[in-house]
Amino acid sequence: MGRRSRDLSLLLVLLSLLLGLAGCDNNPNAAPWQAKHADGSPWVVSYRAFPEDPRTLDPQVAYDELSHAIIYLVYDTFLTYNPLKTDYELQPDLASELPVMETQPDGSLDYLCKIKPGTYFIDDPCFPDGKGRELTSADFYYTWQRMADPKTECPIVSNFSDFVKGLDESMAAAAKAGHFDYSAPFGAITVVDRYTFRINLKKPYPQLKYWLAFPFTTPVAREAVDYYDGKEHDGVVRDRFRVHPVGTGAFKLAEFKSQHFIRLVRNDRYNSLKFPTGGWDPAQEKALRPYAGHSLPIVDEIQYNIIREIIPSWVLFKQGWLDATTLTKDTFSAAMDANHQLNPDYQKRGMKVVKNVELMTWYFMFNMRDPVLGKNAKLRQAMSTVFDTQKENEIFYNGLYVMAQQFLPPGLFGYDPNFVNPYRQTSVEKAKQLLAEAGYPNGIDPKTGRPLQITLDVQAGSGTERQAAEYEQSQFEQLGIRIKIQENLFSAMLEKQLRGNFQFVLAGWSADYPDPENYFNLLYSKSIPPDGYNESFYSNPEYDKLFEQMSTMENSPQRLAIIQQMNQIITDQCVIAPLYNQVTLGLLQPWTQRVVVNGYVSLFGGPRYSVLNDELRNQERAKLNAKNYWPLIIGGILLAIVVGVGIRIGRKRDA
Amino acid sequence: MLNYVIRRLFYMVPIIFCVMVITFFLFFGLVNVETMARTQLPPRASQAAIENWLHQRHYDKPLYLNMPGVQRYQAGQPFYDSLFFANIYDLATFNFGDSLATNRHIVTMFKEGAIPSLLVTAPAFFLSLVLAVSFSLFLVYVRASKLDAVGTIFCVMLMSIPVIVYVIICQWVLGNLLRYFPAYGFSLHGFDAARFLALPIAVLILNELGSDTRLYRAIFLEEVRADYVRTASAKGLSPQVALFKHVLKNGMINIITLTVAALPTLILGTLVLEDFFGIPGLGSLSLTSIRTTDYTVVRAVTYAGSLLYLLGLLLTDICYALVDPRIKLK
Repeated sequence: MGRRSRDLSLLLVLLSLLLGLAGCDNNPNAAPWQAKHADGSPWVVSYRAFPEDPRTLDPQVAYDELSHAIIYLVYDTFLTYNPLKTDYELQPDLASELPVMETQPDGSLDYLCKIKPGTYFIDDPCFPDGKGRELTSADFYYTWQRMADPKTECPIVSNFSDFVKGLDESMAAAAKAGHFDYSAPFGAITVVDRYTFRINLKKPYPQLKYWLAFPFTTPVAREAVDYYDGKEHDGVVRDRFRVHPVGTGAFKLAEFKSQHFIRLVRNDRYNSLKFPTGGWDPAQEKALRPYAGHSLPIVDEIQYNIIREIIPSWVLFKQGWLDATTLTKDTFSAAMDANHQLNPDYQKRGMKVVKNVELMTWYFMFNMRDPVLGKNAKLRQAMSTVFDTQKENEIFYNGLYVMAQQFLPPGLFGYDPNFVNPYRQTSVEKAKQLLAEAGYPNGIDPKTGRPLQITLDVQAGSGTERQAAEYEQSQFEQLGIRIKIQENLFSAMLEKQLRGNFQFVLAGWSADYPDPENYFNLLYSKSIPPDGYNESFYSNPEYDKLFEQMSTMENSPQRLAIIQQMNQIITDQCVIAPLYNQVTLGLLQPWTQRVVVNGYVSLFGGPRYSVLNDELRNQERAKLNAKNYWPLIIGGILLAIVVGVGIRIGRKRDA
Repeated sequence: MLNYVIRRLFYMVPIIFCVMVITFFLFFGLVNVETMARTQLPPRASQAAIENWLHQRHYDKPLYLNMPGVQRYQAGQPFYDSLFFANIYDLATFNFGDSLATNRHIVTMFKEGAIPSLLVTAPAFFLSLVLAVSFSLFLVYVRASKLDAVGTIFCVMLMSIPVIVYVIICQWVLGNLLRYFPAYGFSLHGFDAARFLALPIAVLILNELGSDTRLYRAIFLEEVRADYVRTASAKGLSPQVALFKHVLKNGMINIITLTVAALPTLILGTLVLEDFFGIPGLGSLSLTSIRTTDYTVVRAVTYAGSLLYLLGLLLTDICYALVDPRIKLK
């Protein structure tokens, strides 16, 4: 009897231990920074996910989307995009007005830039007394010097040096001396007064305004750069500047745990931007009107959980622990039904689908130096004509992507929604005819009497990528030619493209800034590697002339006409075969609103405008996370039975 | 004994040197440093930016020897001023440098990642040892019965399922359907940590349990059939006492010797598991660095992994020597 009760009590302990663990909360989010505001009003937290760590929070260095997402919030840029406009309209941020290009009496060009007085850096130990000081034009002067300092490793400074004065000289002097002399004369920036400065230009560069909306040119405080050197001072190791931002932004970085978690908390002194006072979608009037003209940010805190895998982030989103998620190929089928509509379950919950056409074009890039493809426009046209993009879109991309007819993606100045590319209207017959005209009737190379063989270089990847390559192969082989798929490692692929050691590849270009120049530069002969990224090795004096003209123009009907001419050249010669513009889908919880109307623009500090209904969120979360204990009890009983049977078997044999 | 250990350590020197050379070939021999720069810099980085990147990291050196005629020859520098010698020196002095992707100090990253990794692997290791030993003893206790057969089948089943399936099932059932635990996340604050660690630890145990139980069961069965157990039974010792006092003790010697090799590598964490549960440990660090082609971190992980593996082998040998007097420490 005694032994039996001991067994029983052991089981009970085990069961209660399990129950105790199961009784715990399944909320994966960290507790808010503050429970309530000082006046008792709720402290509202926005919960988001990041797929990996931002690489650096140093604005002059960072170039990846994740790093930028944080930098926009903790620093501030000189200009920013209007959150409610889809045509990439720039508006002042740190600036008091948009910069204007001036011609000085001596004929030199510059941009006159004015900043708002009364913008302060956040409080930080790097400042005397720990109090953040006012931002002045001297900070811009220092920032541009810092960009030119080779130690900073600003990746785009050499792109500027063609247009902005003084950078080349300073960089050369620094390379010679082994260090950058911050006291030496610096020609790029002229400080006019405390709130005014000039950016001195070598030649007109209208794209500079887009760079002024990027973090590279965002002002940093010299005190902070010098203070956060990553070295030991008085027994304390200081952070490196790249993980310790000191900015003027809407938020402050409160915590950054690598691989795990980032916490941003509101900067109460922020006053550069306000919530728009109108211009939103009329359907959102009720939700957004209360915030009109409100100071930013609206939410008090943003938590980013680093979630590297798709399944857990989908689970957390479904449980209401994340406010938004991006749909991937894997979660698409879970969220959407066969007609590509949101699942009724999620519709009932009030979730919203957000669709973004990205500033990105996928295309087949032909190597214009290739002896077969480069010299034969008809052959390229035939290959472009035979390829069925719509079918590939349905098979591999859930039919989501936008079919492209031209190099420029929708939304860019110069994009023509009515443009019809004659070689992108899928027709096997027409393609065969073009191929015959190209000198390869039925795909047979007359020189060898055998099918023409062409190599498609692809990056070795997942099963899906391989399947896509096989689909592409089968499409081209309808012409009677043979396509050899060559898989390459990332580095080998890069190498091949830079050396022109390929026939054709699938390429994608995502705009750095919303100007057509960014795309057309890829076919400019002076951008042939190693000087640039014209990896088609296309060289056409007529095109070059047009490019040089349009690249220094402001948007105008004349510029549009030139762009149309360039588009026609690319299309006629079939230098590239445009395939799609990438589309991403996001899902929003019922308690959030989409404020920023454009996916690209929302990368530029979109979360500053985030609004959410905390009360609704709490109710929904409680509903979504109710627990069920019977499986645990049944499991425990089953375990007890097995152990009991075992003990009986053993005893019987021993007896 | 001390002699033996010292001798074993000396044997390790050439192996470690080979590891260094192989690591160098894997990370510099096969990948051009310029390509390395391009994978880290923006897609349109200029040649000047690439050169500066290499210069800042002292990668603008010849690959093997600094001799006239080789690429990036630096006149006036000694012949050993090359990537190869710099690499060997760095690895020998555990100077892993900075991550290419995040520019953080790799040793700091290792220190930060070791604790979360150990918080998962160490409890899982000991719990699965205890559970597998208990389970296998139970099976030995009911040996040759139908329950034993069922147990064995169950173990084979557990063994056959890949870890990723456990991860997905546990996350789905316990995290998503029953919501007993957070499906993802991590915390270092006391009991809060237990909430997050329960699921990954459970998965690791499930993953180990089948094969360990089968192995330990075999070990215990051999012991049960040994002469000393029959003698003990003949002298009137109850089967339970014989099992728990004698068989367990003698079986454990074998088991500990087998498992001790895994001890040092616990610190490296688990690759997929940490990624799926959001444990910011060395496993997920390794996986992330592979994804972001962060060569310096992958190199450091590879090297540290090899060293820890060697350490595990050393521990096994010492254990053998300690517990089994038949092994002479010559």
